Amino acid sequence: MFQQRVGWRWPSLSLQTRLCWAGFLFVLPALLHLIVFKFYPMVEAFRLSFYKYDLMTPPVFHGLQNYKTVWNNPLFHQSFWVSVKYMFGVSVPEWFLAFALALLLNRGMPGRPIIRLAYFFPIAMSQIVVALVWKFMYNPLGVVNTLLGAVGIGRINWLATEQSALPALILIGIWRGIPLFGVIYLAGLQSIPKEYHEAATVDGAGPWQSLRHVTIPLLTPTILFVMVMSLLSAMKVFLNPLVMTEGGPNGTTRVLPYFIYETAFAYHRMGEAAAASMVLFAFAFALTLIQLRLLRRGGVE
Amino acid sequence: MSSRALSLWGGRLLTILTIAGIGVTLLPYFWMLSSSLKTSSEVFELPVRWLPRDPQWSNYPAALSRGAFGVYFFNSAVVALAVMAGNLLVCSLAGYGLAKFRFPYRELSFRAILSTLMLPLEIVLVPTFLVVRGLGLVNSYGGLIIPLAVDAFGIFLMRQYIKDLPDSLIEAARLDGCSERGIFWRIILPNCKPALGALALLTFRDNWDQFLWPLIVASKDTLKTFPLGLAQMEGIDSAAYHEIMAIAVIAMIPTAVIFLFFQRAFVRGIALSGLKE
Repeated sequence: MFQQRVGWRWPSLSLQTRLCWAGFLFVLPALLHLIVFKFYPMVEAFRLSFYKYDLMTPPVFHGLQNYKTVWNNPLFHQSFWVSVKYMFGVSVPEWFLAFALALLLNRGMPGRPIIRLAYFFPIAMSQIVVALVWKFMYNPLGVVNTLLGAVGIGRINWLATEQSALPALILIGIWRGIPLFGVIYLAGLQSIPKEYHEAATVDGAGPWQSLRHVTIPLLTPTILFVMVMSLLSAMKVFLNPLVMTEGGPNGTTRVLPYFIYETAFAYHRMGEAAAASMVLFAFAFALTLIQLRLLRRGGVE
Repeated sequence: MSSRALSLWGGRLLTILTIAGIGVTLLPYFWMLSSSLKTSSEVFELPVRWLPRDPQWSNYPAALSRGAFGVYFFNSAVVALAVMAGNLLVCSLAGYGLAKFRFPYRELSFRAILSTLMLPLEIVLVPTFLVVRGLGLVNSYGGLIIPLAVDAFGIFLMRQYIKDLPDSLIEAARLDGCSERGIFWRIILPNCKPALGALALLTFRDNWDQFLWPLIVASKDTLKTFPLGLAQMEGIDSAAYHEIMAIAVIAMIPTAVIFLFFQRAFVRGIALSGLKE
C-alpha cells in the first residue's frame, strides 16, 4: 500500500513520507496532552519531593529531608498499612465473588436479562451517592443495624468505631466492585466456545471438573487482569474515607491518597506530599507493569 | 434419581442465592428512594420504617432550593460532556494514527501512552494542580476540563477497534483522492460507532460525578460540581438526610437512564477494557 504514488498533495514528499507525517500528526494531540498533564507532572513531583514548598513562598531545595520527615511520621506508616489492608480486603473477596456472579449469570435461567440488569446496576451509581447512601445506612439508627439486629447483633456505630470503620468501607468497595469485575469475567466466560464444555461432558466431567479443567485455564488471562485491576482501583480510594469518616476514627481509615491530600492541601507541605506520592507511585508502577504484560500477552503486540 | 434430586435442590439453592444477592445489591437504591420521600422525623425512626407513611414529594423541590444545586448539576453536565467530547476526538485520532500508520517511534509512543495508565490523578494530584495553577486555569472551566480531556484507556480502546477495520477501506478512499483528514472523518469515524458509543458512555459515567479534581481546582461556588455540593450539604446539615437522598436520586438519573437504555454498549465497553482482543 505504501508504494502506490497516487493522489498526493505535496509533490516533494513521497506517499510513504507523507503517511508517516499524517500518522504522527494524528497521534500528536494525545501525546502533547499526556506530556503536559501526566509526564511533566510526574517529573515535577519527583523534583518537588526534594524541595520544601508551601505554595506561598518559593521552593527551597531540601535534599532528602522530605523523605526523612515522611518516613519518621507515624501517620504515614499507619496510612500505608491502612491502604494495604484496604487493597487486599477489597480485592481478594472481589476476585472470588465476581467470578461466582459471572458463573451464576452465565447459566440459563428464567428472567436472566432482568437479573443481570439488577446485578450490574451499581456500575451506574455515582461514587458520591454510594458514599452518602452507605453512610446513612451505617448510621447507628440505620438500616444495617436493623438487619443485623434481626439476627441478634447489637447496635454498632460502624463508622465511629476503630475496629469496624475500615471493614465497613471495605464492604462498600466490594459491593461496588463485584458487578464491574463480574462484567469482565462474564465477557470472558462467553468467549469460551460451548464445544469445549460439551467435549468435557462427553468425557464424563461433572460441572466442577469442567470448571477446573476447562473454564479456569482458558480464563487465566482475564483472571489475572481482574486481580491487578481490582488492586489498582482499590489503591486509589479516596472519596469514601473523605466523605464518610474523614480518615478517622483515629486514622484507621486514612488511606495513602488521603494522607497525601491532607499533607498537600490541608497542611500545604507540598514537598512531603510529593515524597509520599512516590510510594503510591511505586505501588502503581509495579501493578501496572504486571497489567501491561498481561495486556501484551493477550495480543496488544 | 438421587442425583436428580440433588441437582433439583442445588438449582433451588442457587435461585435463593440469586434472589438474596439481588436484595443486597439493590438495598441501597431502595433505601435511598424510600428515604427521599420521608419526613425528617421518619428518617431515623425506630423501628426502621421501610416505606414512608405519606410520600413527601415536596422534599425534592426543597432539597434543590438548598445551595445552588441548579448550578452544580449544570457544572457536572458541562464537565462530563466536555471531557467526553475531548476523549472521543483525541482518542479516536490517536487510535487511528497508532493502528493504521507506520512512523518512527510508533511503538514507543504507544507504550508511553499506555504507561500513563499508572499515573491516575490520585498520584500526580499535587504537580497537576501546580501545572494548572501555572497555566492560570484554577477556578475556571478550562482548569476543570482540560486535564481530564484525554485518557490512555480511550486511546487503547479506539486503537484496538480501528486495528480490526480492513485496510482496503482506507486504501480505496486514498485511491479516490480523499485527503487523510477526510478519510478519518468520512471512513474511520462512521465505522467505529460501537467503540465510540462505549467510550462515550464510560467517559460520561466517570466524569459526571467528578469529585476529587473539582475539589482541588474549583473553590468558587459557581464552579462546583454536584458531588461537592452534596458533600457540603451533608457536612452542614447531616440531619437533613431525606433531602440529601432526594438530591442523590436526582443525581443518579442521568447515569441510570443511560445504563438502562444502553446496557449492552455499557457492558461491552467495560468488557473491552478487560478483554484480550
